[in-house]
Amino acid sequence: MLMILIPTLMLIPTAWASPLKWLWPTTLTHSLIIALASFTWFKAPSETGWHSINAYMALDPLSTPLLILTCWLTPLTILASQNHMSTEPAPRQRTYITLLISLQFFLILAFSATEIIMFYIMFEATLIPTLIIITRWGNQTERLNAGTYFLFYTLAGSLPLLVALLILQNNTGSLSLLILQYSDPLNLAPFTSKLWWAGCLMAFLVKMPLYGIHLWLPKAHVEAPIAGSMILAAVLLKLGGYGMMRITTMLDPLTKELSYPFIILALWGVIMTASICLRQTDLKSLIAYSSVSHMGLVIAAILTQTPWGFTGALILMIAHGLTSSALFCLANTNYERTHSRTMILTRGLQIALPLMTTWWFTASLANLALPPLPNLMGELTIITSLFGWSWWTLLLTGAGTLITANYSLHMFLMTQRGPLPHHITNLDPTHSREHLLMALHLLPLILLMLKPSLIWGWTA
Amino acid sequence: MLTRLSRFGTALPRLLSKPPARFVSQSKPSGAAGSTAVTELHPAAEQAGHGEVSPYVKNPDYHGFSKDDPVVDEWNMRVGFFFGISVALVIGGTFIHYLPDHGMRQWARREAEHLILQREKEGLPVIEENYYDPSKIILPTAQEE
Repeated sequence: MLMILIPTLMLIPTAWASPLKWLWPTTLTHSLIIALASFTWFKAPSETGWHSINAYMALDPLSTPLLILTCWLTPLTILASQNHMSTEPAPRQRTYITLLISLQFFLILAFSATEIIMFYIMFEATLIPTLIIITRWGNQTERLNAGTYFLFYTLAGSLPLLVALLILQNNTGSLSLLILQYSDPLNLAPFTSKLWWAGCLMAFLVKMPLYGIHLWLPKAHVEAPIAGSMILAAVLLKLGGYGMMRITTMLDPLTKELSYPFIILALWGVIMTASICLRQTDLKSLIAYSSVSHMGLVIAAILTQTPWGFTGALILMIAHGLTSSALFCLANTNYERTHSRTMILTRGLQIALPLMTTWWFTASLANLALPPLPNLMGELTIITSLFGWSWWTLLLTGAGTLITANYSLHMFLMTQRGPLPHHITNLDPTHSREHLLMALHLLPLILLMLKPSLIWGWTA
Repeated sequence: MLTRLSRFGTALPRLLSKPPARFVSQSKPSGAAGSTAVTELHPAAEQAGHGEVSPYVKNPDYHGFSKDDPVVDEWNMRVGFFFGISVALVIGGTFIHYLPDHGMRQWARREAEHLILQREKEGLPVIEENYYDPSKIILPTAQEE
């Protein structure tokens, strides 16, 4: 663990000590080497599940893929922000990189924590750098409003979790994930235990986000700078899914009854948010709503509490992390050229930037879950496990996948096909940097098809 | 097609001296061969007069990394591709491919296939009806309950 954590901390001196003109190459190289080193976490020597244990941290097949995704995303955010940040003065560029590094640091600690309170603290700590990134480097004044929504939705959701965890600590004497699943269920009054159940899950349902408490997400995504959107879609939402998977193992007898409305709400949300995508005019908002839709499937899958549900949720989280981050990068390449996120103003780009259209095509196909990609593997596993829970869910999940395919095609056709609008007269050619960025998003996704057991979680 | 190619021949020297914007036709197709595709290209001087100077004025081989320094731009591209593709994806991918067989699942599969072949050759059923030898199972007698 320290093999990654210490180099991650050492990225901060790298960001502050390197001369300005070498700032981006050095931090990129350093963070890519960290990402490479993080692959060693896949080597799980023990048969018990947990490995690389130290006093506060450990890895298991559930957290390893998410940790590696975190380490992989940081160099990509650095690569993506380079153009956006090039006009800023040096200290601000360094501060920005430092915030991205601190986010990686907190996320590693959150995903590898063995104590739930430590997970909770790191879960909250990730809010700070994200909030600063959104409210300082967003493009419009609405970013302040978006920051408020982001902060207060998440905080209001997660404070009950703190109370619920303290009750648990009081009753069982331990919050260690290694032993918590073996402890006896809490002895609370019926109504209190229901409140406790809701308190344990609400933080994660807001973070995921569940339909109905998702309003902070499109705002935050639209207003955040590119790196903020990328890391938010790719990793921060997955904190919610990860937390749910960890905590449902000890909510056992209650979940069977209480999860009913939440599964329905999540599945209804899949349809509703996917339909909202169909009538979006704002490209980033469309991608943000598509994230809410995909996460609805993940919530439903986790709440069914079956091994297939958990595996499908983890597969979809990893696949969606790479895909949505890639889509945000593509939206940003358009934005940097046309200075507009409105889809009707940036049509017909295939004729101007044909190679970028190839990336758009691949990313759209990944988003609509084309057969061999992990996205499809995750969705099918989830749909199967939900079908096992109740036959009626097939109506909702089926319609959801159909509308997902629809809006992905809509997004692709709107941005790429047709004639170029007349006001676009001078477009920059695509840069090698952007192609590298897209390759680093989509190649891992394609490579995961060859060894899918890496992201199967506990059942692998 | 030929007229297009021949026009490209004259456009090429201009490309090297001027900042290339995307060759996007803004004129209505007139139908006549060789309609002007590059008429609305902005000359370099006009671009330089604006607040945003095209980085291609300074560096025709701009890769999107550093606007100020062509050397940094190129080196940034090199380290990005080398550490991102060659090292992380290729070497990292090879490492992941050759990871030890987790939980000995592949070994178990091979072993099972061997066993099935062997038992079929010997004419035995693939799996015994009694997986555990019944003589070795000690059940409590009726009185003990």
